[in-house]
Amino acid sequence: MRVIVADDSVLFREGLTRVLESGGFEVVGQASNADELDLLVASTNASLVILDIRMPPTQTDEGLVAAKRIRRQHPEMGVLMLSQYVESHHALDLLGQSPDRVGYLLKDRFADLDEFLDAVRRVGNGGSAVDPLVVSQLLGRKRAHDLIEDLTGRERSVLGLMAEGRSNDAIASALKISPKTLEAHIGTIYSKLGLEPAGGDHRRVLAVLNYLRSS
Amino acid sequence: MNTLQRRVIQAGALAMIALACFSEVNFTILPGGGVGPELSPDWYAALVYIVPGSSFVLAGLIAWSLRPRNRVGLLMIGVGVGLLTGDALLKNRVGQVSPAAEVLLDFVSPLWAVVLIHLLLAFPGGRLVSRLDRVVVRSFYAVVPLAALLAVIAGYPVLGKISQPVFDIEVPAAGSIYLACLVIGSALVIRRWFLGGHARRRSMSPVFWPMVPITVFFVLATAAVLRGSVTALATVFPLLLVALPVGCLIGLLRSGLDMSSVGDLVVKLSGGLAPEQLQPALAQALHDPSLEVAYWLPAQEWFADLEGRRIELPTADSEQAVSLLGDPASPVAALIYDSSLVDEGQLVDTAAAAVHLALQNARLQVQLRAQLEEVRQSRARLVEAADGERQRVERDLHDGAQQQLVTLLLSLQVTKAEAMRRSDFETATLIDANIASLREALGELRELARGIHPTILTQAGLVPAIRSLTERCPIPVDVTGELGDTRLAPPLETALYFVVSEAITNAVKYSKGRRMCISLGRRSGFAVVEVSDDGVGGADLSVGSGLRGLTDRVAAVGGRLIIKSDLTGGTTIHAEVPCG
Repeated sequence: MRVIVADDSVLFREGLTRVLESGGFEVVGQASNADELDLLVASTNASLVILDIRMPPTQTDEGLVAAKRIRRQHPEMGVLMLSQYVESHHALDLLGQSPDRVGYLLKDRFADLDEFLDAVRRVGNGGSAVDPLVVSQLLGRKRAHDLIEDLTGRERSVLGLMAEGRSNDAIASALKISPKTLEAHIGTIYSKLGLEPAGGDHRRVLAVLNYLRSS
Repeated sequence: MNTLQRRVIQAGALAMIALACFSEVNFTILPGGGVGPELSPDWYAALVYIVPGSSFVLAGLIAWSLRPRNRVGLLMIGVGVGLLTGDALLKNRVGQVSPAAEVLLDFVSPLWAVVLIHLLLAFPGGRLVSRLDRVVVRSFYAVVPLAALLAVIAGYPVLGKISQPVFDIEVPAAGSIYLACLVIGSALVIRRWFLGGHARRRSMSPVFWPMVPITVFFVLATAAVLRGSVTALATVFPLLLVALPVGCLIGLLRSGLDMSSVGDLVVKLSGGLAPEQLQPALAQALHDPSLEVAYWLPAQEWFADLEGRRIELPTADSEQAVSLLGDPASPVAALIYDSSLVDEGQLVDTAAAAVHLALQNARLQVQLRAQLEEVRQSRARLVEAADGERQRVERDLHDGAQQQLVTLLLSLQVTKAEAMRRSDFETATLIDANIASLREALGELRELARGIHPTILTQAGLVPAIRSLTERCPIPVDVTGELGDTRLAPPLETALYFVVSEAITNAVKYSKGRRMCISLGRRSGFAVVEVSDDGVGGADLSVGSGLRGLTDRVAAVGGRLIIKSDLTGGTTIHAEVPCG
């Protein structure tokens, strides 16, 4: 899979490149700002961009702006945004109308390399990856009339993994349960929360995130 | 009025009466007395010179005694004397004045018109205010006697022959110079009227309006004389001049009425005027709605209005004039008023003297306000600087320590992969332990940096930042209302963010509440944020520096913080900041 890496720190770009290459990805270009990134996107035929949310010149949200632009102009390209902080606001902003080929992760996620590379792969293959911290904050959020309280521990884990953008197979193997049991859990969750079942493994990300954030 | 002046006035009055009797006797004993076009030359002389001349002198003497320091009285006397010498000049034509006196009178008598122009331009203050007026009047004083001298040398009397007493224009010699002076002078008077403000027109009107028919008659009569026909018009004209001394007196007396409005001001002052009532009271007393009081601030070395805002004094060539009150080096205040009031310097001085003490008190208040304003601004600057510093520290952490630790994480992963490749599982396990501690450090650093300055506030604004706070809050929080589509200025967003942040922290720590509510809104130019809980209440500004600091922070951006906290109804923290 051909990847572009964008971050204003050259050491970080190099480190990330080596980690990605060790995971079997081909890094076809490095950009230190949004302009360079646009040039690379236009010229390299990459299928995935990994970029920092903060980039020059103002170091605020240039990365987010660039990510949304690339998603709009190149819907076939995957975009994974990295950040030192994660905010549910940015997650939903980046996901927009469609959870396809998009990811938003803390930079700390390199601590678990397999998890990180799995998330990169997911995004590259058309899925989504929402940082577990975003999900756990939303899940742990206290609500006045909390339907989440009615979920069992297992159901909550399933809901969290769904919100991160995992597929059914990934959830089943992570929780060491059978796909049939998983589907039963998912059915219960939907009915307990009053959610409409959403099609596809990762299409449900938006519905679940929106539910968690708004309820 | 001193004794000398009183004697001069008395002597002048007696002389006038004597002169009047003398003229009366003169023209009655002369042959040809009668009424109508057949009038004798002395009849003309009496009408043309003696009636207006003596009325000017009499009115001038009255004016001088009423306003001893005002030159208007003297100028009126000057006009009168000029007119009366014209009478003497005519008498000379019938052999009553010596030839030597005739030469002298030839110089002096045409000056009455110049003095009249001087009087009209200086009325009612007695001083020529405009530079142009001063230059022109001075040159008149030089040119007219010179023209008269030329006329004498050339053998022409300046003021005409006996048959054409006033309007004998000797074209093109002295008479035309004289006429030119009259035209220029009238133009200046008209200019003064139209350029002046409300206050000036009001003061000029008693002399300006009589001048209008006089000028019209003058033009008509001159035209008649030039055509060679002397009619009743010419005999009526001089009588009109009498309106001028009467107008002058009325004007001066009305100025006296203005003094009485200064008296009203004094009465108001004794009843106690608040500082903000001083300026309107002065404006009313001086009939100048544009009047402004500027208070001198010694510390800042500039003038300010009552609110402490800086005022620049008008420059010398502007339409406004300035009077400094008190020691000019360190004045109490300055009065800025329409330059037409310069004519009534006495009035302004009197009014200013009356309010001096009150202005001194008001200035103390202005000084206080100016200092407060300065403190407010410096507090705002301090808070802004502190916020800027926090933002800088956060960025330093983000670009420095956080980025380096993340890069270190990456390189540890690379090293671990290398160890695994060499089947050095012991080292790989050690590296894993390091990765775990590093991750913990990164987590702590992240929370620290977020506390210093939340990047979401800069990136997405106040509402997402508040929602981010509520997502982390262990008590359920309802967020209602909104702050509109446009973002607030960064200092306002930061102030309100920290209000919410501190309020949530306090509620979680002390309130024992089970629910919180944050309501947002924009109301009449204010952004309002209210955080309430259903806990035990008892929050107190005097206890702990958190709430105190919030109050200061909100005040620094011009807003206010209200804390309602009783022992039954939980705590409500209400913050509002002006957002334009």
